[in-house]
Amino acid sequence: MDRQALRERLLRIVGPDGIIDDPDELLVYEYDASDEVFAGHHRPDITVLPRTAEQVQEIVNLANEFGIPVTPRGAGTGLAGAALAVRGGILLVMTRMNRVLEINERDGYAIVEPGVINLELSQLTQPRGYFFAPDPASQRACTIGGNVANNSGGPHCLKYGVTSNHILGLEVVLPSGERIWTGGPAPESPGVDLTGVLVGSEGTLGIVTKVMVRLTRLPEAVNVLLAAFPDLESASQATSAIIAAGILPAALEMMDQLTIKAVEAAFHAGYPEDAGAVLLIELDGLAEIVAESAERVAELCRQCGATEVRVARTPRERELLWLGRKSAFGAMGRLSPNYYLVDTTVPRTKLPPTMRTVEELSREYRLRIANVFHAGDGNLHPLILFDRLVPGEIERVLRCTTDILQYCVDVGGTLSGEHGIGFEKRDYMTLIFTTDDLCAMAGLKRSFDPRELFNPDKVFPSGFSCGEVNALRQQALAQRLGIEFV
Amino acid sequence: MSEQAVFQQALEHIARLGEQREPARYELDGRRPQLAVAPPSVAALQEIVAVASQAGLATVPWGGGTQMGLGNLPRAFDLALDLRKLNSIVQYEPDDLTVAVQAGCTLGELSAKLGAHGQMLPVDCPTPDRTTIGGLVATGLSGPRRYGYGALRDLLIGISVVLPNGQLSRGGGMVVKNVSGYDMMRLHYAALGSLGVIVQLNFKVIPKPRSERTVVAAYRRLADAAEGALRIRFSQLVPTAIVLLDGRAARVVGLNLQGWVAALRCEGPPVAVQRQADRIGEAVRPAAERLDVLEGGASERLWAEISGAIAAAPLDRAIRVRIGQNPSELPQLAEEIDRACTGLAVERSRWLDIGSGLCYTALASEREADLRLAWERLARLGLHATLLSAPPAVKVDTDVFGREPAGLAVMRALKETFDPTGILNPGRFVGWL
Repeated sequence: MDRQALRERLLRIVGPDGIIDDPDELLVYEYDASDEVFAGHHRPDITVLPRTAEQVQEIVNLANEFGIPVTPRGAGTGLAGAALAVRGGILLVMTRMNRVLEINERDGYAIVEPGVINLELSQLTQPRGYFFAPDPASQRACTIGGNVANNSGGPHCLKYGVTSNHILGLEVVLPSGERIWTGGPAPESPGVDLTGVLVGSEGTLGIVTKVMVRLTRLPEAVNVLLAAFPDLESASQATSAIIAAGILPAALEMMDQLTIKAVEAAFHAGYPEDAGAVLLIELDGLAEIVAESAERVAELCRQCGATEVRVARTPRERELLWLGRKSAFGAMGRLSPNYYLVDTTVPRTKLPPTMRTVEELSREYRLRIANVFHAGDGNLHPLILFDRLVPGEIERVLRCTTDILQYCVDVGGTLSGEHGIGFEKRDYMTLIFTTDDLCAMAGLKRSFDPRELFNPDKVFPSGFSCGEVNALRQQALAQRLGIEFV
Repeated sequence: MSEQAVFQQALEHIARLGEQREPARYELDGRRPQLAVAPPSVAALQEIVAVASQAGLATVPWGGGTQMGLGNLPRAFDLALDLRKLNSIVQYEPDDLTVAVQAGCTLGELSAKLGAHGQMLPVDCPTPDRTTIGGLVATGLSGPRRYGYGALRDLLIGISVVLPNGQLSRGGGMVVKNVSGYDMMRLHYAALGSLGVIVQLNFKVIPKPRSERTVVAAYRRLADAAEGALRIRFSQLVPTAIVLLDGRAARVVGLNLQGWVAALRCEGPPVAVQRQADRIGEAVRPAAERLDVLEGGASERLWAEISGAIAAAPLDRAIRVRIGQNPSELPQLAEEIDRACTGLAVERSRWLDIGSGLCYTALASEREADLRLAWERLARLGLHATLLSAPPAVKVDTDVFGREPAGLAVMRALKETFDPTGILNPGRFVGWL
């Protein structure tokens, strides 16, 4: 690759302030929010910060011409290393494309650029009576483009669904350089659901340049309950009982004792420090339904052994309870120099045995594990605390992680509920998918990106190749049947 | 071996792999297949599809056959693949609110099982005892309830598909939140079985509402009906469906009312449903000529009628068209449809799904040429337009999916990757893929 020529051409597209290739300045782009211990650090050849969709398109055309990889990146808050330029090339940082282009109140949608920050969109639309439902814990920093790439979740996805349920359309630059709009404000547009396929594809199929998001009407009433339990097991049972009773809370979050202590020390959110676990339950909707459900939820919690059920009376109290939850990962710094976050989902009824297993593994590997997670969805987040300077700890963390994932898969769960596979979790893919499953996914990738220039070495296990599998299969079939297919 | 000999050998081999059915019962746009077969297992289906792909047999996956009006005229039709023997409910955990079901299971059978545990798959369907789950997903047709619950697209958490090379491809899983790997569910949702044969679908299910009511308000003018319906849509009330019907459309679904009719469905706990229906009634009453509230079974029947009226079952001497448009612009679209019909001998009925942003219209005429002309004009309206069903003669030389969608090049690449010999529903999907 002629670096100098590439630089010159990029300079003409984005101007001098749109390029970073000084080794010192590039340092920060060698990382994202994944842990270096597990995902490593990877230097892009050049970082480019486009301001328009046209520029993105030109950059992609250039990447095609030079045959070099393009790795898109938002705020870099991803935990699976999806925004790491593991094969070098161009790191395309989308944060300067941060305009809100349209807010359509009548029909309930907005068109935004991918660099708009998640929370800012909700703050902007709230005075008009709307919000953007997906609310990942990193929502103060993460971008809508990143949410689209990862199909991000968040506490309120229990009732409102994940990002994919809230994306109506996308303007996207495909690996071919073609720039198209998929979907639109009216559902069921004919053809393959490209919007649905692109959301969650981690920047491996296309680079999003505009997003049409569904805006959700603010509910008439909101009620937040805090229930304290003696242990994780009883809190897990309460979770199952609430869901099984046909109640759909807006959010149902769990925190264990370790997390409660860390959060209290850092933020004084008012959680009962002696509890073994707490549930944070938000109910919203019509006033009548919220009132009825709140009583029923409190009753179910008590039946499952809750020692205390508290109701937030004011918006301020509500905010405080949520602040504790949303800042839990940050508070972990008080407990340990490093943590590794596992993001797995199990069927909801499997929560109690899964929590038991996590506790057992914690003892077995002599690692403290904090639990703070989306219990209503069955989406666990065991945080394995460690110190990378202690010899042998990293290996124990990895073995413990594999054991947790294997257990979750064995009970019908999955690898990642909302953080993505990216670079760092890709080798676990064979725990849940067969070669045939992965070959079909590779077929999807190939249809979009035959040269594998968009975010290479992500999602698929390292060294994965479908190669001649198909031809061999056909040969075998023909031989067995004795039909010479033409 | 000649092409013809390969073709015959392949058909004979496939006939042995499943139960044969009477080809005459699998008529598609006036064409019959050479062979109709129902595979007894996924393994048999894998082999059938692999052989069909190798031999180049034009294959049409078949469920209840209730929505076969949707799709372009097939380029060829050799083999009907009846999936109704693959009809088991594979896994159902009521407390997890998830279910895994084979594609050939009917909605009725699944609903009975879910209903026994107070749960449901919230899909509108006029023929639950015939319509299969696989068919619902492959066609991607939804109804007015998509406003309150989302379409099946939004409830699908896992899928298994037999690809033309015979391999079984799975995506997603049995958990409600999952970002492991590509979204293969949405790749196949509404792809009209053109990329693979769906064999299993996993869904998150919904607690069945304990009661329901529908507010029915009749207006003299469309503007008043629309104003009321849009006001509710914009409010914090949460009806699960909002539809406006013109007089003829209202009569089709058994409402003997003139002018324009607004129907708003409330579902949930009894007290909440009653209060919500009251509040909706108050809000839409002022300009209404007449206001009725349907309860329980009567409400349910009305919505079954509506979903039947907007489905894709073929009709004689009539076409059905679905047009997408912003909810607030649907009233204007209704008038544009009227203008498009000017000078044509057609009778039209219009259902405006204000909740979701879709307009359904049925046009009847003795004159085929007028139906063709009407579709040509309607195809240009709104944000997208689909000819849901039409007599075969009307479908000649037109793409029933309307305007060419953006991204057709990628869709073509997907078709070539997954179905290189082009055997699955050849020509029937968008852009004649």
